[in-house]
Amino acid sequence: MGVQEVFTTFGDMYLKSLLSTWLMTAVCFAGGLALGILATVLRVSPIKPLRVAGDVYVQLFRNIPTVSLLVIFVYALPYLGATLPYRTCLLCCVVLVVSSFASENFMSGINAIGVGQIEAARSIGLSFVQIIRLIVIPQSLRTTVLPMTNLLIATLLTTAMGSQVPLTPPELTGMVNYVNSRSVAGISAFVVSAICYAGTSVVLGFLGNKLDEKVRIIR
Amino acid sequence: MSANISMRDALYEAPGPKTQRRVRIGTAISLVLLVAFIAFVIRQFYINDQLNPKYWSFFARWTTWRFLLKGFIGTIKVAFAAGIIAMALGLLLMLGRISPNKVLSATCHVITDLFRSLPSLLLIYFFFLVIPKYGIRMPAFWMITVPVALAASGVLAEVFRAGVNAVPKGQVEAAMSLGMTHGKITRKIVLPQALRIVIPSLVSQLVVVVKDTTVAYVVSYPDLMQNARVLISNYDALVSMYFVVALIYIAINYATNQFSVYLAERSGTQVLSRVDENPV
Amino acid sequence: MPIETAEPIIQMRHVDKHYGQLHVLRDINLDVQKGEVVVLIGPSGSGKSTLCRTINRLETIDSGEILFEGKPLPQEGKELAALRAEIGMVFQSFNLFAHKTILDNVTMGPVEVLHRNRKDAEAEAMELLARVGVEAQAQKVPAQLSGGQQQRVAIARSLAMHPKAMLFDEPTSALDPEMINEVLEVMVELAQEGMTMVVVTHEMNFARRVSNRVVFMADGQIVEQNTPDEFFDHPQSARAKDFLDSIKGH
Repeated sequence: MGVQEVFTTFGDMYLKSLLSTWLMTAVCFAGGLALGILATVLRVSPIKPLRVAGDVYVQLFRNIPTVSLLVIFVYALPYLGATLPYRTCLLCCVVLVVSSFASENFMSGINAIGVGQIEAARSIGLSFVQIIRLIVIPQSLRTTVLPMTNLLIATLLTTAMGSQVPLTPPELTGMVNYVNSRSVAGISAFVVSAICYAGTSVVLGFLGNKLDEKVRIIR
Repeated sequence: MSANISMRDALYEAPGPKTQRRVRIGTAISLVLLVAFIAFVIRQFYINDQLNPKYWSFFARWTTWRFLLKGFIGTIKVAFAAGIIAMALGLLLMLGRISPNKVLSATCHVITDLFRSLPSLLLIYFFFLVIPKYGIRMPAFWMITVPVALAASGVLAEVFRAGVNAVPKGQVEAAMSLGMTHGKITRKIVLPQALRIVIPSLVSQLVVVVKDTTVAYVVSYPDLMQNARVLISNYDALVSMYFVVALIYIAINYATNQFSVYLAERSGTQVLSRVDENPV
Repeated sequence: MPIETAEPIIQMRHVDKHYGQLHVLRDINLDVQKGEVVVLIGPSGSGKSTLCRTINRLETIDSGEILFEGKPLPQEGKELAALRAEIGMVFQSFNLFAHKTILDNVTMGPVEVLHRNRKDAEAEAMELLARVGVEAQAQKVPAQLSGGQQQRVAIARSLAMHPKAMLFDEPTSALDPEMINEVLEVMVELAQEGMTMVVVTHEMNFARRVSNRVVFMADGQIVEQNTPDEFFDHPQSARAKDFLDSIKGH
């Protein structure tokens, strides 16, 4: 079965699968950023237990293999009184993992600012909240564009974990399984999925680089 | 880590009396909330009978750990084999990319980016589902090792390239002024230094490789995760087993990361991989 | 001897500070009069930078008290921010806001702290930038400027707040030799206009030419203080003599 036949037989489904992969990537990245910001706030707060909680959170979810987290969500949580739909499980797992890496990016963005600028801001009379709003947040956002672009691509790749649970429509990696179990597609299904992943990554990488050129802080 | 701590402290001034009181109150409230959260988790375990000794007692048996250890050795075997192949391939891809030959350079660039932009699971399906259709039979070990290695090689090529770029330009210029050729400069001057620079980053990439191996059950290779699944069906103790396995992976990866940070601090270099770290 | 006018603008009484075991400030007593230029000199590690930084509470003190215009330094909150708005500070490493243009660096304080409208703040900022000779760079970002230019911008940023006194913490130590003078010239001008200044520096010519008083520190203590001519020509203490000899050697 050639690539063309794969398209005529499974074209509709592939389109749905691609869109679903994109949507999951967007949702997970947005959720990961939001949770990552929250974790970072905890980690830089002056309250010791919150700092420790934030650090532990990040270490847990940046070191756990996604599949290990996924089996806990899918198979273990029902025994603990929480049965979630498959897609919800997947989204939660990816969001948790992505958020820990997002927080690491934010932390290195904050570290890049340096003590001196904070002291300078203090010495012209800016309040703590103003320093965070005017110096820390804008600078850490602008220095993390490239790492965050890489994280966005990594999020796309992580949604491939969706192939390990039944999803309708399957995401791009699950499609290879789906097509191969229904016909002798051989290499074609793989090639189509690979092109979708690589194409998306190239576009995201290009956009990320463009944005970085625009907002990068020269130091 | 140490850099994090100094900067996040620098965001705050030495607290005055009012701030000190607020921090104390905040500390108390947050402690209560954290304890409440932990209590809630334990309660969920308790009311669902998951603290029942029958789910945990088999962890006191040596045979359980021996079987898990066997799986762990399987994981380590795949991780190291994949790591070594990925290093060799990554190094070749990088060398090709920096070579003066434009065609070779462009080809290696494309291959590097391709491997970096495909999920390792997709590559695993390629070796598991696609290759056998063409009559090629591979042992389970290679069906997991090769795709994991390919996925890592793209990232490692970039790590090596960052290492090469970190070698001071003056070194190359000095070597050129001695009349050394491109190949000789790369071999004798650039590579030895670049390798030293990237060692901590290579170690931290092992974490990504170990994570990628956890889907070895797809090809029925007996790694830690796969053996844990076997134990689950033997003892009917799913929740405890999955949590313990997760903790084992977290501990290994945390230790690996800390080791790479230690190496970086000792040699005065940086872990270059942060940007490319792939949480699959 | 120093100008003895009404109430000193800065008063330090029995100030002590430790960094762990290290006693960095020992029983410091120092008054600075309005319009006075005080230069702090001494070997590295003598506590002169720390002393300078305690005056706007970038460093806290363990005991003793510091008064600004007769009032103890506030310890936190709005009051502390308001005090800092009245005291300019120039750092060794410039510390310009890396993500803002030169103009925005200068207007940030007036707009955000003094709540001036942006247009007026920008007009005044341009005047200040012209005064320190970097108005042509207003739309650039800090990293595009030389060290000397960045430090002059940092001075303009402080001046934009109309400070009642200015602290200079080794303002020329991070500069290449050829850029030191362009910064010192701006400081000389400020001194001549009557700005109250506390300057930590190694520039002895500046100290001799501009200051009203030289304060010599060693091991966290004020060892001696005098008019610049008296201090440089007839140092009293052995520590000061040794120090002056050691820098003459260079």
